[in-house]
Amino acid sequence: MKEVIVHPERCLGCMQCMLACATAHSKSQTLFSAAGETPLPKPRVHVGVGTFEEGFPNRCRHCNPAPCMMACLPGAIYRDTATNTVLIDPGICINCASCAMACPYGVIRYHEDPAAPLNKVVAVKCDNCIERRQKGMIPACVEVCKTGALTFEEPAAAMKRKTDEVAQSLSSDAEAALKAPGFSLLNRTKKSRTAINTAR
Amino acid sequence: MHYVVIGNGVAGTTAGETLRRLDPQSAITMLGDENFPPYCRPMISMVLEGTVSEKALPIRSADFYDTLRIHPVLGTRVSQLDPESKNLATADGQSFSYDKLLIASGSDPRAIDAENQNLDNIFYMRNYAQVRQMINALPSFKNALVLGGGLVGFKAAYGLLRRGLQVTMLISSGYPLSMQVDETAGQMILEVLKSRGLLVRVGSQVIGFEGGDRVRGAFLADGGHIPCELVVIGKGVFPAHGFVPRDKIKVDAGILVNGCMETSAADVYAAGDVAEFIDIARKRPWVNAIWPEAVAQGEVAGTNMAGRRFVYKGSLSRNVIRIFDTDVMTAGLVHPPSDDMEIQVLTETDRRRRLYRKLVFRKDVLAGFAMVNRIEQGGILTALIRSGLPVEKDKSRLLAPDFNFARLMPGSRACPIH
Repeated sequence: MKEVIVHPERCLGCMQCMLACATAHSKSQTLFSAAGETPLPKPRVHVGVGTFEEGFPNRCRHCNPAPCMMACLPGAIYRDTATNTVLIDPGICINCASCAMACPYGVIRYHEDPAAPLNKVVAVKCDNCIERRQKGMIPACVEVCKTGALTFEEPAAAMKRKTDEVAQSLSSDAEAALKAPGFSLLNRTKKSRTAINTAR
Repeated sequence: MHYVVIGNGVAGTTAGETLRRLDPQSAITMLGDENFPPYCRPMISMVLEGTVSEKALPIRSADFYDTLRIHPVLGTRVSQLDPESKNLATADGQSFSYDKLLIASGSDPRAIDAENQNLDNIFYMRNYAQVRQMINALPSFKNALVLGGGLVGFKAAYGLLRRGLQVTMLISSGYPLSMQVDETAGQMILEVLKSRGLLVRVGSQVIGFEGGDRVRGAFLADGGHIPCELVVIGKGVFPAHGFVPRDKIKVDAGILVNGCMETSAADVYAAGDVAEFIDIARKRPWVNAIWPEAVAQGEVAGTNMAGRRFVYKGSLSRNVIRIFDTDVMTAGLVHPPSDDMEIQVLTETDRRRRLYRKLVFRKDVLAGFAMVNRIEQGGILTALIRSGLPVEKDKSRLLAPDFNFARLMPGSRACPIH
């Protein structure tokens, strides 16, 4: 089964995934109308900056077992086994923030949401775009990502590719393994800049 | 094999489910003093507050015992236990023998020393029945007195304020939640509650109550008097292990257990509020009477009882509270001993945005934190305490309210290998 895979080294921090995510979880499903909706749709993927100013799309890992699910007081968090997705039922959620205390990645937010009962603040997080997928579409963040930092593929295939890349980079002819020289250069530049700024 | 589980709180319930999953054949008996199916005890304060319906309380369906083929013995308490003959007896005269026993009897509210405690409308707030009684009688109350500024007292005061009562909170320390938060956070919480009409009296104790049948007022040790028609006693809890023979099973504040939740007696396990286990942040045995710990310990106990070794690393105290528009989250060591040279404390206060952060490090390892507002990423910090991994880079990064998970990743990992 395909899953969203994050390749942090390719993230530029453009935050287009956040816009696409908020739009995908709006009533109107278009960016311009979504911006005027009440409640304002909010992203469920959170792009932040890392140690050397690089972008990082922080997104629910749909852990198994999921710490948020075990911590949930009213039992609002459950797993959709067909898509391996951890979901929150906004009708049952009591906004107690027990899941915030449990989530080791800090990806759950608390606000009103178009999918929740009116005027009710609930815990909101990535749902793997379960509604879009029922229509045969892929998750919105992946669809909009221009750099390949987010891909939607079989985890086993992605794992194999990564393992091969590591193996290649360890071989004597390491330079030949450069798959994305642009990102490599960009990240190296950011790193050096951070090092210079820190040294000052 | 006959498993007996004392307690149908979340530790006992989780253990029962784990046992049944791993051992489909054996007999399981579960004893509980409440007659309800398993329900979510932390939510009773929200029922009092009126934000959660009591229909939302059960955490398992009504046919829970039937489905799992667990024999329930409800409405009674264990009064005697003999780990040598592997027998136990209940207060109403039933007796049971076991092959393996789990003690998950939870905790009881701490009593106070005051006269006329048997008057009507003086409550502990520990279980659903007590909250139900309070709600039934609510319309006849105007003034409430809450004893204790701990979690229970605090949640009771908040709930009653939201119900429109005039609430006075009597606390012995200088600010509420003094066990959970430091003074800065405590004062911020106090300000919020005071601005919403809570009256707080600090540094005195109740020595007695007055009234005919029903309570009408309380007398204080300092000579003061507080008129009230409702009293909630929230002076904390203590582990309910009165039936445990101390010469046969090692008991400190709670029943001492190892990483497999085994007590010092053969085939006797303990989990949840009644158990005392090494605290990962404090580095010594500690009773952490909180819901998520009970869930985790119940699962560890059930797994080991079923014959599969599962070692739990350590417990961790933690709490999250939402009051009006203010959120508070704490975990681990928040009040470090001042003479400990290995401890480093970082704080950040933003009064205007009402943000507060306190991080307690032991050498480079995070041992505890307290935060007020913007708490949504607190789980990263609890995970950091649990992992015990050193934070060698700039620790102050963790104080930023909008810090990102990537800030914890080593630079090399975010940089491509190729």
